[in-house]
Order: sequence, then C-alpha cells, then structure tokens
Amino acid sequence: MNKSKFRIFSISLVALLFVTSSGLVFGSWYLKRLEQTVTNKFEDPKWPLPGKIYSDSYLIYVGINLRIDEFKDKLRRLGYRETQTAPKAQGEYRYRQAPAVLQIYLHDFVYPTEAFKGFPVRIAFEGSAVSRIENGATGEEMFSLELEPELVTGLYDRTWQERRVVKLAEVPPLVVKAILAIEDERFYQHHGIDPVSVLRALWVNIRSGGVVQGGSTLTQQLMKNFFLGDERTLKRKIKEALMALIAERKYTKAEILENYLNEIYLGQRGSQGIYGVWEAAQFYFSKPLNELTVGETALLAGLIRAPNRLSPYRSVDAAVKRRNVVLAKLVEDKIITTRQYEAALREKLLRRELIKVTNDAPFYVDFLRRELSENYSNTVLTAEGLRIFTSLDLQMQRIAERTLSEGLKKLEESYPNLRRKGEDDSLEGAIVVLRPQTGEIKAMVGGRSYQLSQFNRVFQAKRQPGSVFKPFVYLAALMSGAEGGKKFTPVTMLDDSPFVWDYDGQQWQPGNYNDEYFGTVTLRRALEKSLNSATARVARDVGIARVRDIAHRLGIQSSLPAVPSLALGAAEVTPLEVAVAFSTLANNGVRTRPLTVKQVLDANGHMLEKRDIRVEKVISPQMAFIMNNLLKGVLDRGTGEYARRWGFTRPAAGKTGTTNDYKDAWFVGYTPDLLAVVWVGFDNQSKLGLSGAQAALPIWTEFMKRATAGTPVTDFVPPPGIKIVDIDPLSGQLATPNCPTVVHEAFIEGDEPTVTCPLHPVSSLQVSKFE
Amino acid sequence: MNPVFAAMNFASTRKLFIGGLAASMVIIFAQSCAPRPPYRPPAPPPASALPVTEPPAPVSPPPVQETVRKPLPQEPKIKEQNLKSKPLPPSVALKEVPKEPGLPTEPAPSPLPDDSSLLAKITQGTSPQRAASLRLTEEGRKLLDAGDPAKALTRLEKTIVIDSTNPYGYFYLAKAQYLMGRYKQSLTFLDVAESRLSAEPFWLAEVQALRGENYRALGMAEKAEDSYAQALRLNSGNRTALEALSRLHESQPASR
Repeated sequence: MNKSKFRIFSISLVALLFVTSSGLVFGSWYLKRLEQTVTNKFEDPKWPLPGKIYSDSYLIYVGINLRIDEFKDKLRRLGYRETQTAPKAQGEYRYRQAPAVLQIYLHDFVYPTEAFKGFPVRIAFEGSAVSRIENGATGEEMFSLELEPELVTGLYDRTWQERRVVKLAEVPPLVVKAILAIEDERFYQHHGIDPVSVLRALWVNIRSGGVVQGGSTLTQQLMKNFFLGDERTLKRKIKEALMALIAERKYTKAEILENYLNEIYLGQRGSQGIYGVWEAAQFYFSKPLNELTVGETALLAGLIRAPNRLSPYRSVDAAVKRRNVVLAKLVEDKIITTRQYEAALREKLLRRELIKVTNDAPFYVDFLRRELSENYSNTVLTAEGLRIFTSLDLQMQRIAERTLSEGLKKLEESYPNLRRKGEDDSLEGAIVVLRPQTGEIKAMVGGRSYQLSQFNRVFQAKRQPGSVFKPFVYLAALMSGAEGGKKFTPVTMLDDSPFVWDYDGQQWQPGNYNDEYFGTVTLRRALEKSLNSATARVARDVGIARVRDIAHRLGIQSSLPAVPSLALGAAEVTPLEVAVAFSTLANNGVRTRPLTVKQVLDANGHMLEKRDIRVEKVISPQMAFIMNNLLKGVLDRGTGEYARRWGFTRPAAGKTGTTNDYKDAWFVGYTPDLLAVVWVGFDNQSKLGLSGAQAALPIWTEFMKRATAGTPVTDFVPPPGIKIVDIDPLSGQLATPNCPTVVHEAFIEGDEPTVTCPLHPVSSLQVSKFE
Repeated sequence: MNPVFAAMNFASTRKLFIGGLAASMVIIFAQSCAPRPPYRPPAPPPASALPVTEPPAPVSPPPVQETVRKPLPQEPKIKEQNLKSKPLPPSVALKEVPKEPGLPTEPAPSPLPDDSSLLAKITQGTSPQRAASLRLTEEGRKLLDAGDPAKALTRLEKTIVIDSTNPYGYFYLAKAQYLMGRYKQSLTFLDVAESRLSAEPFWLAEVQALRGENYRALGMAEKAEDSYAQALRLNSGNRTALEALSRLHESQPASR
C-alpha cells in the first residue's frame, strides 16, 4: 500500500468513525427527546375536555299546554328517537293519538344538584294540556317532570374533541378483543412494531398496486394520534415506529391499550369530533359500553378504520358490511360462538338522523363567555371539561333569531332606502328576552348576522331610548305624591301644548310628533300617545333628578345627566338595561339580577359556582301595577295598538321608543311572564327614518306571538290596596252608562275620582238605575 | 451558496440522520426485547355566634349520587314542621311580648289555625300553574326540613318561574337563603313574599318571624324583636317568634 492510498484509507476511516460516532450521539440525543415526549404524554395523559354549555331544563307539569310537534322536535334535538312500540330503552319515545299519550324513556342526566337515572314516563293529554303524568314502570302518579337541558355548544380551542375517559377495566372484554382482532391481532406478541404485519401489508399492497392495507400496530396508531399528523412520509413512519418502541419499552400493554381506547377517533357530529370508545358507543347507539350487543361491538371495532365513510349515519349498508367482516373475524378467532355470530348478523341496524350541535345562540354564548371570564381563564373554559348550565331557552332563541332576521328583511323590502351599500352600513337590530320574575335571560340576539359582525348590540351598543324612557317620568310622578311632591294619578289632567322649559339659564322646547298637540289630556292618554310636551311638563313638575333616580332604581346603570331632555330619553342606554328596568315593573316592583349562568360544574360533577336568583323590592307593587295598567293602554289604544291588529291579543304592557332624529326605533313590551326588548337602527348612527311602532313593534309582535303560543294566558294581578274603577278616558272621571268608551283604571285606594263624567251625564231617568 | 456545496451538505446531513435513526432503532429494539420491569348543609347559626355582617355564600359541593327521581309527594303526606302551632312552653306567656311603640295595645288574639299545608290550598279552581308551583314549593319545603337548602333552592326557584304570584315560593326561598346564611337576600325575598300575600295573617306572621330571625342573625336585635312582636300580633301561636322572644328575654333579664 503506497503512502497516498494509506492516507486516503486513514481519512476515510476517520470520516467513517466520525460519521458513526456523530450518528450515535445524535441518535441518542434524538431518542432521549422522543422518550421524554412519550413519557410526558403517558405520565399526564391530559386530553383537552371542552367546556359545555347547556340550555335551561324544561319543566312539564300537569296542566301545561304542550304543542306536540314542537315538543317532538325538542325530543329529537335531545337525541330521542320515535318508535312504533312502547319505548324499551333510554332515548326512545312513542306518541299515540286518540287518546293522546306520549311515552318517553328518559335519558340519564347528571343535573347540578343530583344525578338522574332515566326511567319510562307516560304523559296523557286532554286537548293540548297535560292531564296526567305517571312513572311508566311503577304507574305512580307524578305532578311534574324535568326534561334534560339541550347542549348549546362546546367551548374549545381549535378542535372540539368529545370524549369520556374510561379505565380499561370499564371496557367490556368483548370490545377490547374485537378491536384487537381487527386492528392488531398480534398486539400481545410484538414490541411496538410488528415486522410480520408490515411484510404482510407490503405484500398485499404490491399485489394490489396501491396502499390498501397498513401494517401499523395499535401502539403505532396511538403514537400517530398522540403526536404525529396524517402525512404519509418515511420520516413520519420512522418516528412513529421509534416512539412505539419507546412506549412499549416503558409502559405495559394495558396502559397502552387504555390510552388507545380513549384516544381513538371514531366519528364526527358537525363540529364535534367523537373520540374514544365510550363516546362512540353513546354517539352511535346511545348506550353505555356494557350494554352493547355483539353486533354493535363489532361495528364499533370496525369503524376505527374509516369512521366517517363506514358510519351508519351515512350509510347503513356500508356499516352492516363492515360489521359483518368484523363478526366473521371474531368467529374465526373463536372470540364469539357460531350462535352468537348468527344472532349478531340478524341484528337490525336502524338508520338514525344525525343531530348536529349548531350553536344557535352565538351572541348569548359570547355574552356568557364574557361573564365566565371573570372567574375562569380561557384554558379552563376550553380544556377542563366544565359543564355550564344556563338560563337559555333554545326554542325562544331560535324564534328570536328568526323574527329579527325576517323582520329586518321585511323592513328593507317595505322601505328600500334602508338598503345601504357596504357591510358597515346595513340595517341592524337586537332582541333580548327576559323572564321578569327571575331575571333569567331566555334569549339574546345581538345583531342580524353573527358571521358578519360579532358586535353584540344587546349590551355593547349604547343608544338613546327616546320615548321608552317616558314611563320612568310617569312613575316618578305617580310616586311623587307619597314623597311630599305634587300628586299625580292616572287621570290627572295634563297640558299638552307647546312650552319652553327654562333651566340653568338655558331654554329647551320639546316638540310633539308631527307638531300635533292635544290640549288638556289625562296622564294616561299622554303616556299612551307618547306626547312629548305633556311628558316634559310632568318631568319639570316632578323634578328631573327624581326621574333619573327612578330610572336607576328600576335597573338603568348607565350614567344619566339630570337635564330636561332626559325626560324624552336623550341619555344613552343598552337594550339590556331597558329590559332589566321594565322587568322590574313586570315583576310587581321587584328588581332582579340578569341571569345567564346558573351553575358551573367541573369535569367530576362538583359544583364550582351557583348563581341564584337575586331580587330586590325597589318600588311598591301598587305603583308597579298602576304603571303596568297604564302601559297596557299603549298596546290597547296607544302607539303600540298595531300589535293587536297583527294578532297579539294577550294582556301585555309596552312602550314604543323613537329618538328625535329617527336614528333609533325601540319597543319594549311584556306579559307578566315574558319581556322582550327590540331595537332597530344603524351602527353608524345614520338616520333610520322610522318610528318604534313602524320598525321595532312588528318584530316584537311576531316574536311574542310565537314565543307565547300555547302558554297559559296570564294578566297582571292587582295587589291589595288597589282600587279599579271605570273611567271615562276623556274627562278622567267616573264613567256613566252614557260614556262611549270606558277604561278600567287602577288607583291607590282612596285616590280614585268621586265625580261622575260631566261629558256624558246620566239623564234623570237613568239616575236611579245608575245609582 | 455554491450548488455543489449545498448538495454535499444535504447529502451528509441526510447520511447523518439516517445513520442516527438506524443506530437508534437497533438500540431500542435490543432494549425492548429485554425483560421489563356528602354534602352537609350549614346548621342554622346559634344565636350567640351570629355574624354581624353577611358572610359569603357557602358553596359546598353537593354529592352527586344516582337517585331515581321521586314523584312529588301525595297530598295526605303532609309532614309536621316548625310552622305548626304547638302548645306554648310554660315559660312564655303572651303578656311578655313587647309592644311595638306607636301600635295600639290590643289584647293578643288567640292562635290562628294552622294554614301551613300548601297541598291543602290546591282545590278544583286552582290554576294548573299555581297547583304545580305549590307542589314544587312543598317539595322544596321538605328538602329544607331534610337539611338540604342547596337542592331546595334549585327546586324553589322553579316555583316562581311557573307562577310568579305564588307567595309561598318566595317565602321558602327566603327560608333557604336564611339557612344558607344569606340573611340580606333572605330579607329581600321576604319583602316580595309579603307583597304577594293578602289577608293571610298566618303567613304574614311567618314572614315577620323569619324576618326577625334574619335581623337577629345580622345582629340587629331591636329590629328582630319588633318583627317577632309583629308576628305574634298577627298570630299569637307563631312558634318561631315565641321561642325567639323567650330566648331573647332569658338572655337579657336586666335590660327589660
């Protein structure tokens, strides 16, 4: 060997040694890193558990009216399926007519204060009213029944992984055996990678000319799902194999299997991914794992290969075919007997409708998140599996969404000038719905399209309320007598003529709508017709500071300047504030705290928080009743009377609101049990040119008609100390038989008029009869 | 960068990576073949240890246990409770009841008949809402008696959703709040209950007596005493007021 050859040999040897040692060093470092990654995941197998938001539960009681179509729709959304025979398993129901009977096998549900075990119930109807409820198993009579809340949406980061983590011991052996048989039959023989399977897959793939079979072990699949994506590269495959080897070296087969059973992806319900065998059993069969039949178990195992393509929701035929393949494998491996096999083949797989969780209340959920963020970080909300129970009524929410969107569209059709160019300048609106006695926010629509704008006008938009503010002026007036001021009653005569209010060296002249003045009118008529001039006079007599205080007392939180124009609603408030203030009137003078979050539970079912109903009596029930009675007139005779013509006939009170410059249109209205505020306008404060009665009232009317349909008709109940007398609306005195129109007016006892109507006196012949 | 250099670099890096991986696999495979190694509700506070200010609401996690939901109680099963009139203890005589200043000193009326049964208020003319609400109120009352105010509260909140005019729902909501130590909230619910009760002296006396209990818990002894006195003027047989006044007098013999 000459010198130069020896030199080349030496250099090559050094280079080889260098490359080998570098490779070993790098390899060790790389392995250490992979091992750390695997260990971290196994030691703390933390799957992100999305927070879940639930609607309010639904209470059924003897006497309640149920519209069966709507109720069946609710059952469907809750995952109940209609059967032709009496329900035998949870989640089934049957409805029979003549006599009308609904049988439901209730689901299990963990409520915040108790875990409920589902049982069959039988609900009998008389007409649309529930006449009897009984336990279907025992025949015992029940008087009320709670139907579980609906899942509104999940709170998650990037993807919604729906999963219930189970221990290996909780998974029936047949489920495990079936999965191993079809996915990795040599699981207990290999050490993470299985050369036999790889060679077999290679052979099959070469023969078929494409990739038709994988050789991945269950451990490799787990590593892929845990750490790696779906990319089909050699690098990924090697990494997957290395990790599988590490996992098998460090952990037992049982630990690997348990992680696999919880990790595996098994289907999709809208934005909700179904992960793990427990969740899959619920999703496909509405059953716990230990109740699965042999056929269902086989299908569950078979779905792992292609959960969406083989899903029975998509194709029953494909699912049955796949199930049968697995069953054949199970009988071949002697995991099931031939008899079990034949019985499983006969199992009928029913086509089921896939009910997706669509989040029909995005504005409500945003509002809720904002409230929750005070106590919970985003990570906790999206990954800790919190269950959040709310006051939301999904049925009402859907009605609110629909009526607002349809109402705004109709307005644009009727008034083409409302169609503006550009997204920032489209006609907008908002609805908020409250239950006055509890303060629960039942529905909230913060704008026309959540996709286009997430700005929630219900609580983020401060707008002038216009005449919606007037009831606070009149309430201050009615209360003024008892507080040492000038005394007002519903029949106090007011001057409705042009006038100028001097204050602080300035002058303010309120004008009526269309510059129309009515001379002397009763307080009732001034409110019903929303007369600016008369209202301003009342505010001046009562004192604007007192008006402001009343508004605050009822629930307005925005700062209100004590200036004369406040009487006509010149300050800025949100629709939510307006809703709270008027719900105080609807609730007989008792103010409630707006309530969305009712309970928050952690993933183990422990209650983290409960927000109770909070009440405060802020005005007397007598004053509240008189105001409600006055505001009923707005709908019956005043600016809101079109609601009656459009078919909303229930006892209800309300008030229109239009700002001076026609930028905002409002209507707030309520029955004793339900209150809704509607606002319509433009975000950029451009002119709407319509009154509250024209723009907001139609939407309110439509909403209330649909939301209250089938519910009992209730009226405001006069509290003790109220006297109701018939009054002539023109004279404001006691009505005579000759008065053409009569109003049932409410007074504090002793304040009622004693003089009969001078405009329509009784004749001498009538006197004796009248007296 | 020179393309030849770049190619060489890439080739050597790849060689290094594949070499490393191969070595790692050998190590791992060799290694892997080697052998492997009840909720308990807060008791009503004792008179001596009552806080002067309202404490934060206790939120104890109630146990989540599987229970088959029971149907609402049947009418005849009305449980005896502390609302009922019982014979007066010998130490308490009506003449000892302090009179509220400015109120007429009328002779104490005889005890009112017990009107505490809510199910007895359900008659043929009762609206379905009121009937359902009363039944739920009764259920809530039983939960309160059983010492579970948290669960009772959830049940009782439904009573006013179904029928906001049901004063008894508000009364028992006030009682639940009192038992959970939220005295100010309890007082506000009592305001509402009172405004919805009309011509029902038995219940108005209950409202006053519970109001007295709340004032006592808040350390407002004078207001408490006035409320008990009011309760007894409405119903001389009101047990809560009688016992409370008796306790008050025993603890303050010198001040009277």
